[in-house]
Amino acid sequence: MPEVEKILETRELNVNMGPQHPATHGVLRLVLDIDGERIVNVKPVVGYLHRGVEKLGENRTYFSALPLSDRLDYISTMNNNVGYCVAVEKLLGIEAPERAKFIRTMVAEMNRISNHIIALATHILDIGATTPFLYSFREREWLLDLFEMLCGARLTVSYPRIGGVRNDVSQEFLDSLYKFTEEFPSRINEYETLITENRVWKKRTVGIGVISAEEAINWGLTGPTLRGSGVNYDVRKHAPYDAYDKVDFKVPLGKNGDCYDRYLCRIEELKQSNRIIKQCIEKLPKGPIMADVPKYVLPPKDNVLKDMEHLIHQFVLITKGPTAPEGEVYVSTEVPKGELGFYFVSDGTGRPYRMRVRSPSFIHVSVLPRLCAGHMVADVIANIGTIDIVLGECDR
Amino acid sequence: MKTAKEFLKTIFFIEILRGLALTLSRLFTHAVTRRYPKVKRPAQPGFRGLHALVRDRDTGKEKCVGCCLCAAYCPSQCIYIYTSEDEDHKKIVDRYEIEVLRCIFCGFCVEACPFGAISLTEHYEYSDYSRDAFYMTKERLLSNWDKYMAGQKGEGYFRKFWRPMSEDFGTPEKQATWRKIQNAK
Ligand code: SF4
Ligand code: SF4
Repeated sequence: MPEVEKILETRELNVNMGPQHPATHGVLRLVLDIDGERIVNVKPVVGYLHRGVEKLGENRTYFSALPLSDRLDYISTMNNNVGYCVAVEKLLGIEAPERAKFIRTMVAEMNRISNHIIALATHILDIGATTPFLYSFREREWLLDLFEMLCGARLTVSYPRIGGVRNDVSQEFLDSLYKFTEEFPSRINEYETLITENRVWKKRTVGIGVISAEEAINWGLTGPTLRGSGVNYDVRKHAPYDAYDKVDFKVPLGKNGDCYDRYLCRIEELKQSNRIIKQCIEKLPKGPIMADVPKYVLPPKDNVLKDMEHLIHQFVLITKGPTAPEGEVYVSTEVPKGELGFYFVSDGTGRPYRMRVRSPSFIHVSVLPRLCAGHMVADVIANIGTIDIVLGECDR
Repeated sequence: MKTAKEFLKTIFFIEILRGLALTLSRLFTHAVTRRYPKVKRPAQPGFRGLHALVRDRDTGKEKCVGCCLCAAYCPSQCIYIYTSEDEDHKKIVDRYEIEVLRCIFCGFCVEACPFGAISLTEHYEYSDYSRDAFYMTKERLLSNWDKYMAGQKGEGYFRKFWRPMSEDFGTPEKQATWRKIQNAK
């Protein structure tokens, strides 16, 4: 008899998912313990995309470390840039002029749209619907073209600067962006027609990956992933930076904290972002685009080309970096994925003594075991999609 | 308990049919894609593509004076400059090299240069079979300028970007603000 028992013995199976798996949104490796089709445990293994961004930042001046923030979350680069600049500005004790603030808010919301579009599209694609993916890339392309018109790059923009933005917006850009905001709500309707009521989609997302409000807070979730559980927390509302206190928008909340509610939150955020962009265009004031703080901000180019003082000043600033006062600062901003925090320790030189990035994706990955436990293997994909992670930011 | 309406919706696949109607209607609209190698998408002015060293129109040589500011600013440290002195103690740039494979096309070099001596062209199709092809020497950088930025284009380039001349954007009267578009949809 013991022989038979040995043969019939059931045990959990250990399966590797990733790091090269199309549905893990990058190089995420998950070790799944499965009992038949049920997930018993999920162990995320991160670090495959580690580039040492924090250390690299410490070897560069505050100016030169800016493009590193592009490479954290390469889908929402503009938001990362803005987050970096806001943090350094706080450290230096300077403030961007009004016009620059509005421009930054505007471009950050553009990128929020393009990020949410990708998050939804890939989430939906993973679950099995191809059409919304293709449709939403149409709008994303439009936004990327606008970025190119604005600053010459489509993805890694490096457009905001410490103390303002790199260049002013052109009339042509504003006009095309306004046209986009007029058009975009009808495009959102298209996605909604295809997906929101679709029974297959609902079967795959309603009641999957449920997390209660209290648990979500305890896990440290932020962004739409948290708001899907009904917690009203948005850095843009609670600690407004840039021009967010001057525009009117709502923070959409979910109820049940499942994949479907998080999806609805993201769709609603698309609409709100669209509203913010529109208001920013309409309210855009005239004025300078860079703070007038010669100690920390590069002089305008035409002055550099013309006279000696500015030229020397440019040399000193670029080679030494902005000599920040000693101290430390932590500033968090709302990026599409959640709350991105930059923490700087300054020792009074032009380079940060320590640069630490609090990236939402890293924290969201850690909640995967909790979300997946007890569900089917196929729902792991749905859960990865719904927490909206980018591994570049997670591994840094 | 489902209401009768919901029941009807379920058995007639209403939401699926509406989705299908949408995709069907898209059959009769224009394609948004491009046949890439045949139809190229024009780059916007100020696109951050391959590097070029500006050729001075008067002397026919590079404008660069070898001050190394671009190399100091470059976040990926991929610009190498070697200079020497000639008989009358003038600095000459012996070698100016950019390792394009390491460049991240941030455009900081253009922003830093106090002489307007380096630019990023609109050229972006430069794949090759060897890594040597991406090691840009001074001669190649200068020929890039002749190829992609000669004439009007090069002159207008520095105006558009890099916190430009006041004649373009700097004065408040000319700054862009919202205006009602007549035939927006
Ligand atoms: S574009 Fe940026 S990375 Fe490339 S050479 Fe210039 S400064 Fe360096
Ligand atoms: S390109 Fe400009 S910044 Fe670089 S060495 Fe030449 S003159 Fe100096």
